Amino acid sequence: MSPLDVPLDNFLTLAAVLFAIGFYGVLARRSAIQILIAVELMLAAVTINLVAFSAYRDQDQFTGIVFAIFVITVAAAEIALALGIVLRIFRERGTANVDEADTLKW
Amino acid sequence: MGMEQAWLLPAIPAALFVVIVFFHRVMPRHGDWAAILGMLAVIGISGAIVLDFQNGGVNTYSFEWLNIGDGFFVIDFSTYVDSVTIVMLAAITIVRLMVMVYSVGYMHGDSRYGWYFAVLSLFAAAMLTLVISGNLILLYLAWEGVGLASYLLIGFWWERQSAAEAAKKAFITTRIGDVGLLIGIILLWRGAGTFDIQQIIHFAEDGGFDEKYLTITMLFLFAGAVGKSAQFPLHVWLPDAMEGPTPVSALIHAATMVVAGVYLVARMLPIYDEVLIARDVVLYTGLLTAIMAATMGLVANDIKRVLAYSTISQLGFMFVALGVGAITAAMFHLLMHAFFKSLLFLGSGSVIHATEEQEVEQLGGLSRKMPITTVTFIIGSLALAGIAPLAGFWSKDEILVATQGGAPGFAYALLAGTALLTAIYSTRLVLLTFFGEPKNQSVYDHAHESPPIMTVPLIILAGLALTAGFIALDGVGEVLGFAGGIGEIVIHGATGHAYKLHMDIAAAATASSVIGIVIGLVYWRGRAERAERARNWAPELHTLLVNRYYIDHLYQATIDRVVLGLAGVVAWFDKKVVNETGVDGGAQSLGYLGLRLKFLQTGKIPNYALGMAIGLVTITLVAFGMN
Repeated sequence: MSPLDVPLDNFLTLAAVLFAIGFYGVLARRSAIQILIAVELMLAAVTINLVAFSAYRDQDQFTGIVFAIFVITVAAAEIALALGIVLRIFRERGTANVDEADTLKW
Repeated sequence: MGMEQAWLLPAIPAALFVVIVFFHRVMPRHGDWAAILGMLAVIGISGAIVLDFQNGGVNTYSFEWLNIGDGFFVIDFSTYVDSVTIVMLAAITIVRLMVMVYSVGYMHGDSRYGWYFAVLSLFAAAMLTLVISGNLILLYLAWEGVGLASYLLIGFWWERQSAAEAAKKAFITTRIGDVGLLIGIILLWRGAGTFDIQQIIHFAEDGGFDEKYLTITMLFLFAGAVGKSAQFPLHVWLPDAMEGPTPVSALIHAATMVVAGVYLVARMLPIYDEVLIARDVVLYTGLLTAIMAATMGLVANDIKRVLAYSTISQLGFMFVALGVGAITAAMFHLLMHAFFKSLLFLGSGSVIHATEEQEVEQLGGLSRKMPITTVTFIIGSLALAGIAPLAGFWSKDEILVATQGGAPGFAYALLAGTALLTAIYSTRLVLLTFFGEPKNQSVYDHAHESPPIMTVPLIILAGLALTAGFIALDGVGEVLGFAGGIGEIVIHGATGHAYKLHMDIAAAATASSVIGIVIGLVYWRGRAERAERARNWAPELHTLLVNRYYIDHLYQATIDRVVLGLAGVVAWFDKKVVNETGVDGGAQSLGYLGLRLKFLQTGKIPNYALGMAIGLVTITLVAFGMN
């Protein structure tokens, strides 16, 4: 039994469900903001996996936890950039619908 | 300083070539003095080599150039100096110095004056390398080097279409022979395992080669000589090579380069002695060429072309001598011919310089305007005709003696007949050019004697043409510091023999020369209508000769039909199959594919996301499947 009373499988299940929701959101949503939120969900799922594995499999080290902090940091930077782009698109076109931003093609 | 330092001979002009090419614009007088001084240095070294000369030849290994397979394929750059080399050096260096001095006057004011002297130096380097190389690969390199220099000098006035064409013709024609030479060299190496000439000769003399193999090999080698020395059937380039500046004709196409083939066969003669069939081929090729060229020389109207045919004919004489194994006679004639033929060419250059005309039908009566040129030209012609005691008499006599002793009777008769023709055409040339009434008054009025820088070399060469033959006599050879006469100088061993004047043959040869001159004098005594009569006397024969036995036409037709036809097929294949179908086709099909597939890029983010999702699912499934 681990130091925690909850088994590892529960964390992994939670992460998988969260990832699937985010995945669905990325595919199903049309608003750029909503897609970004969905991406954040997927990232959160991955982070949970990292922390959980770290706690259960690698108690003496902090590799997974440090990795998780990096993921959060990079995600914050990424979302700042992405929101900036979305803002510009909204100002240009009056909409943040990704279906309509399709000029970058053949 | 002596025979060991022979490598200096080509090194000096080679260095001068580089210097003059790059710096002739800033050198005073475009560097002609440098080329001439370099030539004087070469003559000095040659003199030291002659004084140091010992019978037997000296082989000097310079350095190992290439060694593949630990001794399997070795090329040593080595020098070899023997009596044949000595004769070649004498012919090359003396004539070359005269030509260079003469060129200062002849080429004066030419726009590429510096380049001219640079190429002369390049040619000197190649030719000197050729005669001192002890190794077939080095010899071949030098062989191609003289071919290159010849090409550059024939096409020296390349703005003229005919000069550019002549240069191309000379290069391609000699190249055909050069391929044979290269094959011959490779075959010799394959048999003997070395490129060293002396080792190959020893190997052959010890019977190391299969006889049929060696015969074929030596025939290939002879093909190279045929190309370079303008023998039938590759003689066609030499008359056209007269497009070059006349001093070049004297130097390359009379005195030195064209005798490279004679030199090659002379150098290899001990091997030819092993395979008499190949030696007979040399004999009859030389004989046929001598006769053909002499007959063509009878009707040619360009003063330089007459001399060119004469050169081809005299080279034929040398090959006849080699064909009967008389290396002494061949090398002796080579040396004498170098003197009097370069004299004749320089004399014709003097005429061309003065009149800017080289058709004898436009000349005539020039003896009153150009006395020095006339006298020296007559001396050269008499030497060519073989009048005692001029240079040509001694050597031609020697060849006739050797032919009488070593060849069938008809060969001797034909050769003696050719000597008669020689006298006739040289008399005709002298008469039509220098005597009789001027055929073109404006050309005649324009004429004047050439400046001393041109006439002095003529006088020196005339002196040589008058007296050089005397080295045949034992006493003269001893005075000059040799063990004996030309027989001792030129060769030692089985094929050589001391010079001996055969009174009967000498008398017969001189008589036939005199008869030839008399025929010429009586017939052409300056009357223009005589040429017309010659045409009417045997019109078919005249047409045949004027058209050079239609050999040039035959080659041209072969090239037009066969070569160009084949080239057309190959060009079509290259254009249609290789280029359009293969290269362009491949590129076009890829471009077409791109045009179709580009619509996969819709620009819609959900599409890309879907693609990523499908990819993710696929990878996941594959990963699980593999576990």
